[in-house]
Amino acid sequence: MAMGAMRMSINEKQFIEAALRENQRIDGRTPFDFRRLVIKFSKDDSAEVQLGQTRVLAVVSAQLVQPYPDRPNEGTLAIFTEFSPMADPGFEPGRPGEMAVELGRIIDRGLRESKAVDTESLCVLAGRSVWAIRLDIHILDNGGNLIDAANLAALAALLSFRRPECTLGGPDGQDIIVHPPEVREPLALSIHHLPIAVTFAFLGDGDLLVLDPSLKEELVMGGRLTITVNIHGEVCGVQKGGGVGVSASELMRCLRLASTKAAVLTETLKKVVEVHETERAQRKIRRHHNFTALSHAGAIVDSGVTEREVEMDDAIENTTVTESKEDTVMLGTVKVLEEGEIRHEDGASNFKQNAEDDEQERVEVHKDEKPIVALLTEQNIEAMEEEGSRGDLGNLISVTAETLSGAAADPSQVTEAVPIDTPLNLLAAVKKKVKNRKKGAVVKD
Amino acid sequence: MDVESSVPGAVSPFVNRIMAPGDVVLDLTKASNVLRLGSGLRQDGDNIAMTKVGRLQFKKPNKYWVEGSQKRYIPNTEDVVLGIVVDRRFEMFVVDIGGPTYASLPMLAFEGATRRNTPNLQVGAALYARVVKAHRDIDPELCCTDASGKAAGFGPLNGGYILECSTGLARVLLSKPTSPVLEALGKSLSFEIAVGMNGRVWVNAATTATTILVSNAILNSEFLTAAQQHIMVQKLLQKSQ
Repeated sequence: MAMGAMRMSINEKQFIEAALRENQRIDGRTPFDFRRLVIKFSKDDSAEVQLGQTRVLAVVSAQLVQPYPDRPNEGTLAIFTEFSPMADPGFEPGRPGEMAVELGRIIDRGLRESKAVDTESLCVLAGRSVWAIRLDIHILDNGGNLIDAANLAALAALLSFRRPECTLGGPDGQDIIVHPPEVREPLALSIHHLPIAVTFAFLGDGDLLVLDPSLKEELVMGGRLTITVNIHGEVCGVQKGGGVGVSASELMRCLRLASTKAAVLTETLKKVVEVHETERAQRKIRRHHNFTALSHAGAIVDSGVTEREVEMDDAIENTTVTESKEDTVMLGTVKVLEEGEIRHEDGASNFKQNAEDDEQERVEVHKDEKPIVALLTEQNIEAMEEEGSRGDLGNLISVTAETLSGAAADPSQVTEAVPIDTPLNLLAAVKKKVKNRKKGAVVKD
Repeated sequence: MDVESSVPGAVSPFVNRIMAPGDVVLDLTKASNVLRLGSGLRQDGDNIAMTKVGRLQFKKPNKYWVEGSQKRYIPNTEDVVLGIVVDRRFEMFVVDIGGPTYASLPMLAFEGATRRNTPNLQVGAALYARVVKAHRDIDPELCCTDASGKAAGFGPLNGGYILECSTGLARVLLSKPTSPVLEALGKSLSFEIAVGMNGRVWVNAATTATTILVSNAILNSEFLTAAQQHIMVQKLLQKSQ
């Protein structure tokens, strides 16, 4: 017999609603808490976001193509979603389902219609060659609220993406030269602002509101509202699904909440990306095999030894890490950390100092290249297990559920906490979107 | 999947080792008595091969099975499972037990059920049942009585909450001696629990707060040692007070 979407028992439905009436949620959260958020980057700059049980992977790639004739000096941004049946038995392989299309559209709308990614800077030669950016979103595990997780993954991947630098050359200056990353430092995309999607679920008769619904809450909910908003409180998109009606005042409340959450999430995202940048810069330091061997032995390497061991690039004297166009080698005293211990924070701050200080370059070389965020996570999980509560996981990481929830736990505080536009402006922004949808410009496909 | 092979058998050298699907664990030509195979094993000609990842287990005199931990459940006879009624048909219920296909539950497979007196279960009702037939080519069949026809705890579950976990955790919760997390919780809280081998756990307590606490404690316990589980439960209890 064919299996449909996930089934849910009456018991669970009743329990979730009953608990919510007491301001409790099944995973120990309160109604306006986000789940634990973890953002990881792999070496190829793909971003993986974990939001509680939900896991989403986003990968950005770029290709030089001919531009559309009506927009000769604009690059393109295309979003593709892939829902693996491994993530949820309800996802069918092959053709994208209703949810896959909707998810792609919501993210696409947030990014494209608010012009978050500067497409004009992707032009290499007008009318001839532009960069086509492709964003692939893979759902790895469906634990509910795929939209927010996928949106964060998409932003993280776009922020960390680097495309090779291109210049024009040749006899007539019309040949496109793509510089490999070893020769010229790859360039980041120019991103004007970060549209953050924040999803609410309406349960019961629409009177119970929760933020960041889990899978089970999604199965019970009567309606869903996704608000894409940036740190400035500008609404970039609103998507409402399900049958439950939402009053204007309720919508305004959601907008305020969303904008608070978006501010916190943006900060978090920026912080994580910054850490990743530092990591990436540090990875560029060439390491000799002897280093690794020594570091495993836990020895302190003398600077005299170091100089002999490391290849030195000519460019080193005049470049700092932040400005380097060439593949730079930093050298100097190498301080080896204790086995198993990685002091990421110190490493990062030292590194910045070093970049500023040309004469005395001291770099801490980590023997392990594991992404910092991943490390943080694992430590946190351990700490969490000590702590013993799922809901409290977050307060150990810089990405805290606490901070996420703290500001918005009390809706009355929200207005003071966030510098957002006046409600009138917000309302106007929302109205416009709603109008658009009626016209069919914003369709729930 | 109960394959009985009337061929000779010696104890497999791979007992208590973690094996991968396709690994041949036993050669039947060298075996000397009847074997009983549990989940995760398959007879392939003269060989017994693994069908899933896990630790090969053996119980004297002749029982072999595989213990692994999965998110998706594969039905196996004599498993106790938590099901959700999906449909009501003539003389049977269709039940979702989290397996690759739905299971069927005859209406007469309840204690004291007769043609005139059948249980009245709505679509969406949760129930605790036993798998009586499981074969890869047909839908599994459930039963809400034990082998002697008594209810023995099987049947519909009222109220409470159902959480989902891995099959590995479910087995730990069902195993004896009682798992540390349940022991620690049971010392200070009163609650009802029904664990299905399909990775569904039904928890019911007087207050929603207790139910939430118990379900979170169970989910947190999966990768903790016994001592850590005790500490975790204590901390959760302190917080809730």
